[in-house]
Amino acid sequence: MANLRIEQLNKRYGATTVLNDVNLSIEDGEFVVLVGPSGCGKSTLLRMIAGLDGASGGDIHIAGKLVNTLAPAERGIAMVFQSYALYPHMNVRKNMTFGLKFTGVPPTERERRVAEAARMLRLEELLERYPRDLSGGQRQRVAIGRAIVREPEVFLFDEPLSNLDAALRVSTRVEIANLHRLLKSTIVYVTHDQVEAMTLADRIVVMNKGRIEQVGKPLDLYYEPANLFVAGFIGSPAMNFFEAKVESIEGGRARVTGAAFRGLDVAAASLSVGDTLTVGVRPEHLVRGEAGAFAAEGIVELVERLGEASFAYLRRVDGRMFVAEVRGRQTPAPGETVTLVAASPDVHIFDASGLRVATGTR
Amino acid sequence: MPESLSPVTAQMPRAKLAGLLLFFLGPAVVIYSLFSIYPLVATMALSTYTSDPSGARSFVGLANFQTLLGDALWSKPFWNALGNNLIFFTVHMCVQNPVGIALAGLLSLPRVRLKGFYRTVMFLPTMLSVVIVGFSWNLILSPLWGVASGALKAVGLGSLFAPWLGLESSALVTLSLISVWQFVGIPMMLIYAALLNIPEELIDAARVDGLGQLRIFFHIKLPLVLPTISLVSVLTFVANFNAFDLIYSVKGALAGPNFATDILGTFFYRTFFGNQLQLGNPTMGAAVATVMFFIILLGLCLYLFLVQRRIRRYAF
Repeated sequence: MANLRIEQLNKRYGATTVLNDVNLSIEDGEFVVLVGPSGCGKSTLLRMIAGLDGASGGDIHIAGKLVNTLAPAERGIAMVFQSYALYPHMNVRKNMTFGLKFTGVPPTERERRVAEAARMLRLEELLERYPRDLSGGQRQRVAIGRAIVREPEVFLFDEPLSNLDAALRVSTRVEIANLHRLLKSTIVYVTHDQVEAMTLADRIVVMNKGRIEQVGKPLDLYYEPANLFVAGFIGSPAMNFFEAKVESIEGGRARVTGAAFRGLDVAAASLSVGDTLTVGVRPEHLVRGEAGAFAAEGIVELVERLGEASFAYLRRVDGRMFVAEVRGRQTPAPGETVTLVAASPDVHIFDASGLRVATGTR
Repeated sequence: MPESLSPVTAQMPRAKLAGLLLFFLGPAVVIYSLFSIYPLVATMALSTYTSDPSGARSFVGLANFQTLLGDALWSKPFWNALGNNLIFFTVHMCVQNPVGIALAGLLSLPRVRLKGFYRTVMFLPTMLSVVIVGFSWNLILSPLWGVASGALKAVGLGSLFAPWLGLESSALVTLSLISVWQFVGIPMMLIYAALLNIPEELIDAARVDGLGQLRIFFHIKLPLVLPTISLVSVLTFVANFNAFDLIYSVKGALAGPNFATDILGTFFYRTFFGNQLQLGNPTMGAAVATVMFFIILLGLCLYLFLVQRRIRRYAF
């Protein structure tokens, strides 16, 4: 197992920049999830770590060794592909041993590793079967098994759950988490699903347009998003945003006002009068009431009842919508005008360039 | 009503069902019967007759086949043509198809420049008329004014030149290679298309497993395109045993020198239509055509029962 260091990594296809100066350091044994919307460069980054795509600039170190010019098999990585990419003309056992044959692992050692991986992944019964005779979940486990027998320094997962149905996705997610606990290996995992990212990751890397927007622990990203993109990307339903302005500053407190919410007092910090801001509040932090650092009013248009909570979609004064989570049996009725408030630690302020403003509330 | 009918057709009045069958299946049955089944049956029927000099035909049963295979005057050229045809086929299987596979493999490599150009150039001869190809190669290989001897001399290999098309020992292989040159584009295209069908991630997985491009080709790509390769082999077999045009355009119906390039197609042509001193004999010609049909049928059956059943197609 080993650490992974990425420095100033760039990838360009002609005039399009896919990755832009990516720097990332991953510790030994860490489970890091790359997450972002499609086309953000997360899969490209993973393929470059694997050595399947070349870099236009920058360095990749695995276990302290510069691997830029090494072939995929020489980098000490193993990869699990989205489509599983099992060899259709080989049975499960051959699928797992095939790569080992070419990297000089002796037959007895191959058998030992396959037996161990099969036991770990409950594949013993399936070793002689062909991929066509396996279910999606079984294929997925074989693909993971093929990665395990390589005994790599770093595991790379490219959206491994996206071809599974919802129930299987949850159980396989748990299995992958268990596997990480068992193997204590370094894992880089790409997904576009933030639930996977939040549940699996030690640290999440949020990417957008070829850049890293924020790196942090799941809950840090949730409670202290570094910018508007991360704030909007992490959390479901997404954070509500309100346009705002700094009206005045008095005694170290800034008065922030906007069309769609009641005025708000925050620590002035680096703010100055007239600054354009965005105020963000998550739906689950809004409660009905009158007293709160932040308060907004809206007319209920729709209520989605999920059971453990309901989501109220409200039309605000400026005509746009926002969402509030309502707990319990008493849900507001459509047409009702409701005031929702949030405590000051749950109010996020972003400046005109989208960066988080430290208001010292947390 | 048989159980296999769907509930909809089961409840249909018989007349309406018959009308539907006629409407959907009728045209295909008519066209297929008219242009495929009828000529075949008619040829087979003709092969059981003989005609006297006045042109009157009389039924002789299998006597024509007895003559063809038993009378040395007929059987010698027949076996010669069949043997030559096997050589013709062998050259295609051993040269055309491996070269086609290799070219397809090269085209499917990542980062090959001018892929489209090479593909088109290598497919171009296939689109030429066989007559043009035959005429051109006749000129190229001519010892009098051909460029082949000059080209060999220019690279110091002039002593290797021989009038290949004129020698009994080399004429058939030379013609086979001309045919290979013309048609290598077909296996190349079919196999290239099959190779493109292999998902990129599978190749990536093999790269992560430590395989180079050559090993990826032999261990991953080749086993996965085997169904296409066997299809190409069948197409080659049928085309080769029906071949006629190239031999005729280069060597004429006598398939010289001394019948060294005579294959079943040219043998049939001389028998049926006659040539020089040989009179045309439609009933014997029909017998030759029938034998050719059964040879191809036999080959196809061997393929279907021995090869096809063991080959598995892979869904990706």
